[in-house]
Amino acid sequence: MLNDILTGQKALFPPDAHTELRGQVNRTRRVMLLNGSLITNTRSDVSGVSARVFKNGVYGFSSMAEYSEDAARAVLTAASENAAFMDAHAGNGAAPLPPVGGGVRTLERDITDAAQRAYIDFARAVDERVAARCPHITARRVVVYEDSMEKLLRVSEGCDAHAIYPRCYCYVFLTAETPQGAPVELFTVVGGSGVFGDNFADPAAMDAKLDELYEHICQKREGVYADAGERTVVLGGSMTGMLSHEAVGHTVEADLVLGGSVAAHRLHKRVASDLVTMTDFAHTAFGAPTPLPVFVDDEGTPAVDVPLIENGVLTGYMNSRDTARRFGMTPGGNARAWLFSDEPLIRMRNTAIHPGTSRLEDLIASVDDGYYLVSSGNGQADTTGEFMFGVTMGYEIKNGKLGRALLDTTVSGVAFEMLKTVDMVSDEIVWASSGFCGKKQPMPVGMGGPALRCRLMIGGR
Amino acid sequence: MQNMQKLQSIAQFILDEAVRLGADTAQCSVMETRTLEFNVDGGAFSLLRTLFDRYVSVTVLRAHRQGSVTVNRFDEDAVRAAVADCLAAADGAEPDEAREYAPGPVERDFTLGTPEPDREALFARTREFMGDAAARHPKLLMEQLITYHHRTQKVYMNTNGVTYRTLSGSYELGMTYSAHDGEESTAMYGGSLTTRTLDRPFIDCALIDREMGEVEAQLGATPLTGKFTGTAVFAPQCLAGDVFAQALSNFASDTALLEGTSPWRDSLGKPVADERVTLALAPNDDRLVSFQRYTGEGYPAEDCHILKNGVLESFWLTQYGANRTGFTRAGNTSLSMIVEPGDAPLADIIAGIERGVYLMRFSGGQPAASGEFSGVAKNGFLIENGRLTRPLTETMISGNLADMLRNVRAVSRETLSDGDVVMPYMAFDGVTVSGK
Repeated sequence: MLNDILTGQKALFPPDAHTELRGQVNRTRRVMLLNGSLITNTRSDVSGVSARVFKNGVYGFSSMAEYSEDAARAVLTAASENAAFMDAHAGNGAAPLPPVGGGVRTLERDITDAAQRAYIDFARAVDERVAARCPHITARRVVVYEDSMEKLLRVSEGCDAHAIYPRCYCYVFLTAETPQGAPVELFTVVGGSGVFGDNFADPAAMDAKLDELYEHICQKREGVYADAGERTVVLGGSMTGMLSHEAVGHTVEADLVLGGSVAAHRLHKRVASDLVTMTDFAHTAFGAPTPLPVFVDDEGTPAVDVPLIENGVLTGYMNSRDTARRFGMTPGGNARAWLFSDEPLIRMRNTAIHPGTSRLEDLIASVDDGYYLVSSGNGQADTTGEFMFGVTMGYEIKNGKLGRALLDTTVSGVAFEMLKTVDMVSDEIVWASSGFCGKKQPMPVGMGGPALRCRLMIGGR
Repeated sequence: MQNMQKLQSIAQFILDEAVRLGADTAQCSVMETRTLEFNVDGGAFSLLRTLFDRYVSVTVLRAHRQGSVTVNRFDEDAVRAAVADCLAAADGAEPDEAREYAPGPVERDFTLGTPEPDREALFARTREFMGDAAARHPKLLMEQLITYHHRTQKVYMNTNGVTYRTLSGSYELGMTYSAHDGEESTAMYGGSLTTRTLDRPFIDCALIDREMGEVEAQLGATPLTGKFTGTAVFAPQCLAGDVFAQALSNFASDTALLEGTSPWRDSLGKPVADERVTLALAPNDDRLVSFQRYTGEGYPAEDCHILKNGVLESFWLTQYGANRTGFTRAGNTSLSMIVEPGDAPLADIIAGIERGVYLMRFSGGQPAASGEFSGVAKNGFLIENGRLTRPLTETMISGNLADMLRNVRAVSRETLSDGDVVMPYMAFDGVTVSGK
């Protein structure tokens, strides 16, 4: 746990600027078994201190890979000098950052650091269960992964905070062959917020997920190519989560709005059907903790929910303190950094489309000729809102009933056009949190949503 | 020099400690880096960063069991703890006799690129570039521009007597931008550059000016209607990342061979691509600003061919992958790719295409193990009767990567040389193009 050696440095904060001083430790543990062989067995602990100074509309930042009072003083000096250089060469004389309110948030829990043996033994136990339960596969991979960020933040104005953000997952990847001998792959992931011991006690608890994964890959090896073109589809909840994050979320990050995203011209306009409401949740959603709760961001802003779309109308952006100043909005705690050496950027926390009132079965039954797209392996979008998601598991829908499984395919569309075609929304939300969002720095994020019926482009042969 | 000695003494301490605690063999890297970085956001300077980082990575083998630990502290307590942690991790592992590190004795020093930055000159080039881009391409909006200098001082040692000392530095540029006209905008595009010196304006390097012009010409893009099988012309950056890097990962890497999923697994020494396709991994080539001089297992990095005139000359294997599969280790494990250019000008290649697409970017994730891929053709144009007739949006392409490499229609004379790769334009037949 980080000792507080930073509060005493506040006396050194420059008087005419906004200053953040942050100590941080990132811990990563990773184990991978490939067909039973341990091919990755790594631990990483990275710590240090950074300072950022805002003056006349520009920032100076500096970091050092050492958590000490000397290092804190050194980065404060360097960040101040960098801010002065930028002010002299490119300052824009912007007004100071509006205050966000003070306070202190103290550490709620420390983390228990499991021995590497615990991760290996669990991966081994899961691998043995995969080998026993999944006979007709050609390759298997089991990954146990944990990361955590511990942050101690001191700011010249705002909320001082000390927090730890741990998460831990077990991934299982299976490969099988089609009758023609081509490989097909599928994976599942179990876990969430918390350390290894919070998430994984008994390998047998993985059995239901393993059986479901095996059933799906057996269907997929007999799968067919999707028929390329624009189709009516039912997007599963995890696909909707990806859509919320990639295709909509990024376009309403205020730094990307300033960079020319499509949302620059859409505020207070209709961007989706009445059935679509979307929020970037801070720490609590629909009466339960979010997958990756955030209480204070790395600029010292208390984290609150940020409404993005309400009944189909774009209502807000996610902001840093600087972009909130520029847009005349209130920052909601979205500025976060991955490592001690990273500056805070506008990042999503737990972004989700809200559930509706229909049942998933009814969405599927309502489609005469289309697809049910269950899970995605990856997704990308650009600032126009045009997106692409890989589909790793899906089915044909014929006359309201599920048909053959699909081989890997891709869906694409333009978010603010495609969301206007949403005409049914299921009543259950599916969350995911195991991935990283990439935007200069990686960042753990949560994303979620219900099933949607909509029109999309699907790739195929 | 004094600092290098400090790094080496830490590395020697780590190896001694590992052996003292019972390691059979060990390797470690001890590194200090300094980064100086300017950021431009939304078209305006926003940030200057200076970073002082350090890394220690240790890998040990005890009874053929391997463990690896990374920390970023140099103090003796932290280093001792890291080594002990590493041995404990190894003890938890299964034995694997395929693990080994390079044999010694070998001792080499490398000074590469430009180790010391010129802050004023980098700022001046960055500001000049913003001015040049605005003057030549007034419809472009720079979403983000990052220019930086990265300096690395690093010692690699293993218990077999291998020592490498490296001092390196280079300037790099990364950017994303799009073109705008009122409420209309193009897809965003990203460019990059790695260079040893600041002797030329950034806009005159690589294909930066040409690419900016092409993106401006994409205003007014419309979706394709219908579906056809035609020719896809991949621009160099897209060819590097989405064709050749993916082919290495899916068909030639440790994972692809160990999983047995590579369609090339029985094709060493045989043709797997059109005879005009030659792919080298060449970190020592002067056209590239690549600093890989040894592999992660401590072997000297030698330039090598993966594909030569379409024939699979080598897999992209580490020594571990080679030991596990019975094939030979690749000369290096970098992505410092050089693809040989062809004879035809790009304009002539396009003039010969009846129907197809030209794309600067592909948004599609990683292809399936089999090479099947589908995704969005970004920053692209429709090709009809030998002409780029209109910019496209919402247009997908699909095919099989392995098949595509056999269906090369043409390789351009022009190349991108951005410090990271040397890459021509390449046209592939038989690609499925689909729209609304």
